[in-house]
Amino acid sequence: MRAHLRLIVVIAGLALLALVPAIAAALNQPFYIDLLRRVMIFAIAALSLNLILGYGGMISFGHAAYLGIGAYAVAILSHHGIHNGFLQLAVAVGASAGIALVIGAVSIRTSGIYFIMITLAFTQMLYYLGISIEEYGGDDGMRLPRRSEFSDLVDLGNPVSFYYLVLGVLIAFLYLSHRLVNSRFGMVIRAAKSNEARTRAIGIAPYPYRLVAFVIAGAMCGVAGMLLVNHTNYLTPDFMHWTRSGEIMFMVILGGLGTIGGPVLGAFVLLLLEDLLSGWTQHWQIILGPLLVLAVLFAKRGLAGLLPGARRDD
Amino acid sequence: MTDALLEVRNLVKQFGALRATDDVVLDVQPGETHAIIGPNGAGKTTLIGQLSGDLRPDAGRIRFAGHNVTRLRAPARSQLGLARSFQITSVYRAFTALDNVALAVQAHAGHSYRFWRPAERESALREPARRILHEVGLGDRAEVLAANLAHGEQRQLEIAMVLATKPRLMLLDEPVAGMGAEESQRMVQLLATLKGRQAIVLVEHDMDAVFSLADRISVLVYGRVIATGTPEEIRVNPEVRAAYLGEED
Amino acid sequence: MNAILLVEQTLNGLQLGVMLFLLAAGLTLVFGIMNMVNLAHGSFYMVGAYLTVAAANWTGSYVAGVVLGLAGTLLVGIVVELVALRTLYERDHLDQVLATFGLILFFNELVAILWGRAALFASIPAFFSGHVEIVANLRYPLYRLVILGIGLAVALLLWYVVARTRLGMLIRAGASNRTMVAALGINIRLLYTLVFGFGAVLAGLAGLLAGPIYAVQPGMGELILIQVFVVIVIGGIGSIRGALVGALVVGMVDTMGRAFLKPVLGSIISPTAAEAAGPALASMLIYLLMAVVLALRPQGLFGARGN
Repeated sequence: MRAHLRLIVVIAGLALLALVPAIAAALNQPFYIDLLRRVMIFAIAALSLNLILGYGGMISFGHAAYLGIGAYAVAILSHHGIHNGFLQLAVAVGASAGIALVIGAVSIRTSGIYFIMITLAFTQMLYYLGISIEEYGGDDGMRLPRRSEFSDLVDLGNPVSFYYLVLGVLIAFLYLSHRLVNSRFGMVIRAAKSNEARTRAIGIAPYPYRLVAFVIAGAMCGVAGMLLVNHTNYLTPDFMHWTRSGEIMFMVILGGLGTIGGPVLGAFVLLLLEDLLSGWTQHWQIILGPLLVLAVLFAKRGLAGLLPGARRDD
Repeated sequence: MTDALLEVRNLVKQFGALRATDDVVLDVQPGETHAIIGPNGAGKTTLIGQLSGDLRPDAGRIRFAGHNVTRLRAPARSQLGLARSFQITSVYRAFTALDNVALAVQAHAGHSYRFWRPAERESALREPARRILHEVGLGDRAEVLAANLAHGEQRQLEIAMVLATKPRLMLLDEPVAGMGAEESQRMVQLLATLKGRQAIVLVEHDMDAVFSLADRISVLVYGRVIATGTPEEIRVNPEVRAAYLGEED
Repeated sequence: MNAILLVEQTLNGLQLGVMLFLLAAGLTLVFGIMNMVNLAHGSFYMVGAYLTVAAANWTGSYVAGVVLGLAGTLLVGIVVELVALRTLYERDHLDQVLATFGLILFFNELVAILWGRAALFASIPAFFSGHVEIVANLRYPLYRLVILGIGLAVALLLWYVVARTRLGMLIRAGASNRTMVAALGINIRLLYTLVFGFGAVLAGLAGLLAGPIYAVQPGMGELILIQVFVVIVIGGIGSIRGALVGALVVGMVDTMGRAFLKPVLGSIISPTAAEAAGPALASMLIYLLMAVVLALRPQGLFGARGN
C-alpha cells in the first residue's frame, strides 16, 4: 500500500516536470526550463549517490568527482574537435567507471571515518589535477567549444529538446535504480548496510558487491556530468569541489535516504532554496548553513518522511 | 588420521597478557551435538569467534571437512558449510522474517550479481525460506518485520537463517540466552529435532538444555579444555565439579 | 638542484609538517575520543587567523592580538561544542558530516560579511621578521623557524600531557573505552568540552601562524583541511604520535614534490612533458602516498585495529 502511494507521488511529480516547457511557454518565462533542467541534472547526480549512500550506507564524500570527470571527458574531447555525443558518452561513462573502480578498490577496504576522509581526499586530488592542467583551463576552466552532437536524434541547442532529453534520462535512471535496489544485488547491498556481521555470517563478503555498486554510481554520475557541462556550456574544476559533494549529499538526505524518489525531491528543494535565498542576499550561505544543520538535527528522515504513506520502520 | 568433521589443534588466542584461548584441542564428529560449557570468562565466545572465522587465532590449526580453514574468513567458511548464530541477536531488523531467511538462502544459491529481476519474485529463494520458517515455528510470522518480533522469535529467526545456509556444522552461541522458561523449552525442542542431520557445536549456560541435547561435552576453564566426554562422564568428573558444576550448587 | 635548495626545501617541508600537526592533533583526538567527524575544524583555523589580525590591528600590538585571538578561538570552539555539537556525539557519522558541513558554510559566510571576501593582510611582527643565516649562503626566514620551534614545543607539550599526566591518562583511556571512563565517574562531558576546546585552540594557533604566509580569506580552512585528513588517515585515527609522524611525512612529501618533481622528471622524460606533468603529479603525490599506506595498513601507521 505504502509503496503504491509513493509510486503515485513519483509519477505525479514526473508528469508535472513533463509539463514544465508548456507552462513556461504559456507564462512566457523560458527561465523555468533552464532552472528545472538544472534541477533534474542534479537530481540524477543525487540519485546515483543515493544508491551507495542511501541504500548502501557508504558515506562517500567524493561523489562530485564523477560529475567533473563526465564533464571533463566531454569538454576535452570537444576541445580536440570530437563532438560526437555517443563517443563522448562512452568516454564519460568509461572514465567515471574506471576511476570509480580504482578509488573504490582502495577506499572500500576501509569503513567509518576513514572511508569518509579517503573519498574526500581522492576527490580533492582530482580537483587539484584539474586545476593544474593549463591546457584545459586550469583554475578558470574552459568554455565548451560545441555542444554534444547526437546526429539528428536530438539537438542540445534547442532548450526544450534538451530538457526532454534530461527528463528522459532521469526517468530511465529512476527505473534502473528501482530494479537494481530490489534485485539480488540490491538486497546484498542493503543487507550489508543493515548488518554487516550477519551478512558475513551467512556467507557473503560485502567488498566486491560494494565495489560494483560504487562503480555503477560513479558511472551514472558521469552521465550527469556530461549533461551538466552541456547545460552550462562552461566547465570549471569547481564541478568536482568537495563542497559540491556536500551539496549532493544534502539533496539525498533532504529527500529521504533509501527511497527512490527522495533524491529528486531533495534536489528540487535544495536548489530552489538556494535560488530563492541568493535572490534575497549575496550572503545566502549564512542562512543555508544553519538551515542544513537544523535539518540534520531535526528532520532526520527527510521530506519523503513527511509524505503520506510514509511508515516508521527500523 | 581421523574423519572428524571439525578438528581443532592447539588453538591459541591472546589479548595482551590474557590467554583467552590456551592450547585448545577439540574434535567434532559429523552429526554429533557437542556442547561447550564453562564458567563466565572461560573464553567460550572467543573460541566460537575463531571457529566461525570472525577472529584470527594467534597459533594452532582448524580443519573443517578436510580443509584447513585456519586463515579463512567467515564468508568463506560459511560457504563450506560452517554456520553460526550470535550470542546477541543479529538479524536484519528492517527486513521481514521471510526476507531475512531468503537472504540466507540467496547467499548459497549462486552469485548475487543479478541486477534486474526482483529478488522477491524468485521462488527458488522464497519457497525454501518459507519452508524453513515453518520448520522453526515462525511460519505465520513470515511477513512481520524482524524488529517487531519478540525476543524469542528473533532467536528462532537466527536458527532459521543458519539452517538456510545448508550447514554441515552449526555453531550456536547461547541460543536460549535471555529467554523465559517456556521459550527456552520451545527452542530446546526445536534443536532436538535438528540433531543428527548436521553437527552442532553448542555454547550454553543452561544446563538442562546442555544435558538433554549434547552427545558429548567439553568443559572450558580459563581458555583450556579441562575435560571432554559424554554428559554422564562430565557429570561425575571431579575436576569439572570443582571448577564449574560445584559453583552451581 | 643544489644543497642549499635542498636544505631550504627540507626546512619548508618541516614547517608545513608542523602546521599540519597542530591541526591534526586536535582533530585526531576528537575523532578518537568522541568518535566524531568534525569537518568544521578548518573553521577554527580560519577564526584564529581572522581574530588575531583583527585584534592586532585594534590594539596595535601583535602579542595582544595573539592572546585575544587564541582566547577568542577557544570561546568560539566551546560555544560551537555546547550549542551545535553536543547532540552529534550520539549520532551516526553521516549526520556529523552534514551538520559540520553546514557549520563551514556558516563560518565562511560570517567571516565574509565581517571582513569581506578579499584576503586580509597579516604582517609578520617586527621581532620575527628578517632572515637568519643558518649555514653559509643559506638565509632562511626567521618567522618560519619560529613556526617550526612553536610546533615542536607544542608536540613536546602534548607528549608530556598525554604520556605523563592524569589528564593524559584520561584522554588515552577515553580513546580506547569511553563508556568505561564514564562509568568510573569521570565527568565525560567536561572532558569532551576540554578536548574539543583544546583542539580548537591548536587549530587557531596554526591559523594565526599561517596568516602572514598563506592568505587570510574565507575558505582558507578547507584548503588545508583535506591535507590534514590525509595526515590523520596515514597516521591512524586517535593517535597523536601518528599525527606527528603523518604530518611531517605529508609536509615533506608535498613540499619536496612540488619543488623537485618537475626537474627530476625533466631529466628522465622531456622537459616540455615534465612542464605539464610535473605540477599535476606533485599535487597528487600525498594522495598516492595515502593510497599506498592504506593498501598496506588500512588502519593507518599507528591506528588501532578494529574499533
